[in-house]
Amino acid sequence: MNLLKITDLQTHFVFHDIDNYRREARALNKVNLNLNRGEILGIVGETGAGKSLTAQSICGLLRPPAKVVGGSVLFLGKELLSLAEEDLNDIRGAEIGMVVQNPKSSLDPLTRIGDQLVRIHQTHTASAVSVARSKAIAMMHAVGIPDPEKRFSAWPHELSGGMAQRVLIAMALMNEPKLLIADEPTTGLDVTVQAQILELLKDLVRRFEMGTIIITHDLGIVAHYCDKVAVMFAGEIVEYGTVTDIFRRPGHPYTKQLLASTPEKLKLNEAGSLGGQPPDLFNLPEGCLSQDRCSLASDQCRTPPPVITLETGQTVRCHFALQ
Amino acid sequence: MRQPILQAKNLVKRFSVGRSSSYVNAVNGVDLTIHRGEILGMVGESGSGKSTIGRTLLRLTDPTEGLIEFDGRDITSLSAKELRPLRKDMQMVFQDPWSALNPRMKIGDLIAEPLRIHLKLSEPDLRDRTELLAKKVRLSTEFLNRTPSALSGGQLQRVCIARAIATNPKLIILDEPTSSLDLSVRAGILELLMELREETQAGFLFISHDLGTIKLISDTIAVLYLGRIVELVPKEALFNEPAHPYSQSLLSAHLPADLDAPIQRLILEGEIPSPIDLPSGCSFHTRCPAAVDVCKTATPEPELIAQNHHVSCLRLKDGGNILSRQQA
Amino acid sequence: MPPSVTHQFTWPRRTANRVRGLSRLSPTAAAGVVIIVCFGVLALFSEWFMTHDPVSSYPDRILQGPSFEHWFGTDGNGMDIFSRVIYGAKFGFGIAIPAVIIAVLIGIPVGLIAGYRGGALDEILMRIFDGLRVFPSIILALAVVAATGQSLLNVVLVLGFLDSPVFARLVRAEVLALRSSNFVESAIAAGNPTWRILFFHLLPNTIQGAMAQTAVRAAWAVRISATLAFLGIGIQAPTPEWGAMIRQGAEFMVTGQWWVAIFPGIALIFLVFGLNLLGDGIQDILDPRRRASK
Repeated sequence: MNLLKITDLQTHFVFHDIDNYRREARALNKVNLNLNRGEILGIVGETGAGKSLTAQSICGLLRPPAKVVGGSVLFLGKELLSLAEEDLNDIRGAEIGMVVQNPKSSLDPLTRIGDQLVRIHQTHTASAVSVARSKAIAMMHAVGIPDPEKRFSAWPHELSGGMAQRVLIAMALMNEPKLLIADEPTTGLDVTVQAQILELLKDLVRRFEMGTIIITHDLGIVAHYCDKVAVMFAGEIVEYGTVTDIFRRPGHPYTKQLLASTPEKLKLNEAGSLGGQPPDLFNLPEGCLSQDRCSLASDQCRTPPPVITLETGQTVRCHFALQ
Repeated sequence: MRQPILQAKNLVKRFSVGRSSSYVNAVNGVDLTIHRGEILGMVGESGSGKSTIGRTLLRLTDPTEGLIEFDGRDITSLSAKELRPLRKDMQMVFQDPWSALNPRMKIGDLIAEPLRIHLKLSEPDLRDRTELLAKKVRLSTEFLNRTPSALSGGQLQRVCIARAIATNPKLIILDEPTSSLDLSVRAGILELLMELREETQAGFLFISHDLGTIKLISDTIAVLYLGRIVELVPKEALFNEPAHPYSQSLLSAHLPADLDAPIQRLILEGEIPSPIDLPSGCSFHTRCPAAVDVCKTATPEPELIAQNHHVSCLRLKDGGNILSRQQA
Repeated sequence: MPPSVTHQFTWPRRTANRVRGLSRLSPTAAAGVVIIVCFGVLALFSEWFMTHDPVSSYPDRILQGPSFEHWFGTDGNGMDIFSRVIYGAKFGFGIAIPAVIIAVLIGIPVGLIAGYRGGALDEILMRIFDGLRVFPSIILALAVVAATGQSLLNVVLVLGFLDSPVFARLVRAEVLALRSSNFVESAIAAGNPTWRILFFHLLPNTIQGAMAQTAVRAAWAVRISATLAFLGIGIQAPTPEWGAMIRQGAEFMVTGQWWVAIFPGIALIFLVFGLNLLGDGIQDILDPRRRASK
């Protein structure tokens, strides 16, 4: 059984604007993903593609006006979308761990970091505080925080960005989750610190055999740390498969352009025009969402493109996938 | 030989911290020269002082010590009033386009502002110039009547660039201009900058933390660590034969989006020290795999090791500066 | 949030939609607007609503209770209270609006300059304004108006001046926050002289808080001017100003002719209430929107 199986996840924004007119935006459109233990899946895309939204939809962390309007999220066979809030709370922080961006603003500024680790443990396990404390110190050691005994009583504002991110990872792992979701875990950190954090994550994933989702816009991270990758655009997964397949033989025009615009592949003055405005989720075109910026676009693209499975196993959402 | 447009000698900048007697040593003795028609790339991580250098060079903040010469003129101690007319020749593009533009001003007015301040143009002339500038940065003129909230990050950055080139400055400093933009949009901005370099022959300082971008855009690269330039080198030489241990580890930490690129990971220990509490001697010694005793006490000076290639490392003489890597 | 969609509706329909949309955002603002618009209409078009001439007296009908002829009754001079209450709306607005305008015209420039320049100038100005605010405004207003003469103009000027510290403080706080922001630095880098920075860059971005306060300060101005009139300063009978009317009516409360004081009192309460609602509502509208936008 898959650790995580997402089928046709659909999330919309619904609200009334200032003209009292009901607006609905298709923020996530039929998202399909699978994840097994020990696998690292990268979700990659530009701003507004829906990567963080996917993570929030899985964990039930959506805030109005966003809400899930369809699909299924099976975690070890359990349907997360139909769970009550209390049951979700039992799973979040215990079986599913989440690491968010902006470590410094994600920690409770009024509690010492050791106590925050203990707190997250006590919320899910009825064990003695001393047990939780030694677990916390062991976890801090595992994530590479020097001098864990002393740092146990440190305040969040005393930590650097890299240290804070390690604390967040420790918090996510305190209860030995089976699924770890890391949303832009290294954005904003220095390159040398980034390297340390990624190596650490890779090591922990192997040790605890967690299924991991890394959300990022950095293709370099995907290339070197992920097994599978899902490329997102305007709320849809346009391509999905193993990293090797997708990097060597990208099937979707958007993926091809994305790979071509990385600094490694980019030849200035030859760049095809990618980019421009991110798509307006309230005014999506009929059919394929990339038609305005795709060189292969034709009349056929006004109908929604099918999701085609190539022989390598990767799926591509395009009319011309088999070419 | 290109003409220098900006020269800084022994630039030092310290900020006092609150009411205590400690200082943030942001810039600790920087010598650099920017030539006309050249893009100098400045790369560094947090605490390197790269943003502070940019702002100090433009006198947006005052240097604690050192000399700044712009177009042959000493501008180190000029007053704000004396500086204002000079501003038409030296401009800056900031990192975050959303916060660098007055949210309540129209785009057309924002672009035309330097023209309004420095040149006495009639309204129709102003409008024409603004449209020309918009076209030059490939921004559709329909946006000239909108406010910044209607534009995307890439478009806003083009507005910032249009604003910066409006008065044909001789020097343009760009502080992380593409860091907050999506990949697909960066290419357009970088291309625009290279075009401008050719056309205007202005000097450019491009500050970034991303090696990939620096590699694409720069002619010469300065590698910064804790407020000092540890290596100053023409682009190719940095990527083929980086001489300073820090440059080498920076290069190895960079993750190229290429499955075939060999990764030789040189994972540095520890964190970047705080600029408030600078390590003694060579400030890199706390993390440097090649550090020896003398590195704790002596401060290295820049040495010329090849054409236009300066490195500040005490282990140059015995070859210890070249680090061995482990295969990933 | 994405821009609104303008459909092919006619403008009355669009306005109605927009009103409904805004009232969803803040019912308080909507309620406040309704009340103020009603009073505004009364003030502007009082001739249409008044049943009698507000200043002619009917000596044979002194102190008559509410009746078909005189809806709110008559006062001690035999004047129709209903018409006087309607006419009094003119004073409500006629004092509040100029007073707030004066307060804004003094307070905002002071706040801008003090906030931007800082230093000694800031200290001195703020101490002066602090001093003004510490003083009970009624006493101060009493003193100034009594000294300078009892005219409507004086009342307006004094109120405006006394109220300016509020606006100065609000603007100054925003300026302090924005003074070191990126777009101001960018403006300096472009070579802007200080006056341009204050006027084109800081002013438009610091004014919202102050603008939200105008309704509340207008309420204050109305209250204070009525109080002053009640205390016998500023406007005097037979001018149909609510405060003066209440003053006159106070004497008659004891003898049982309640209508002379109560009706102008109710009008006063409602106008002040409406202004306060609007002020609250504006802050509601400004805040969540600000949070939602980039």
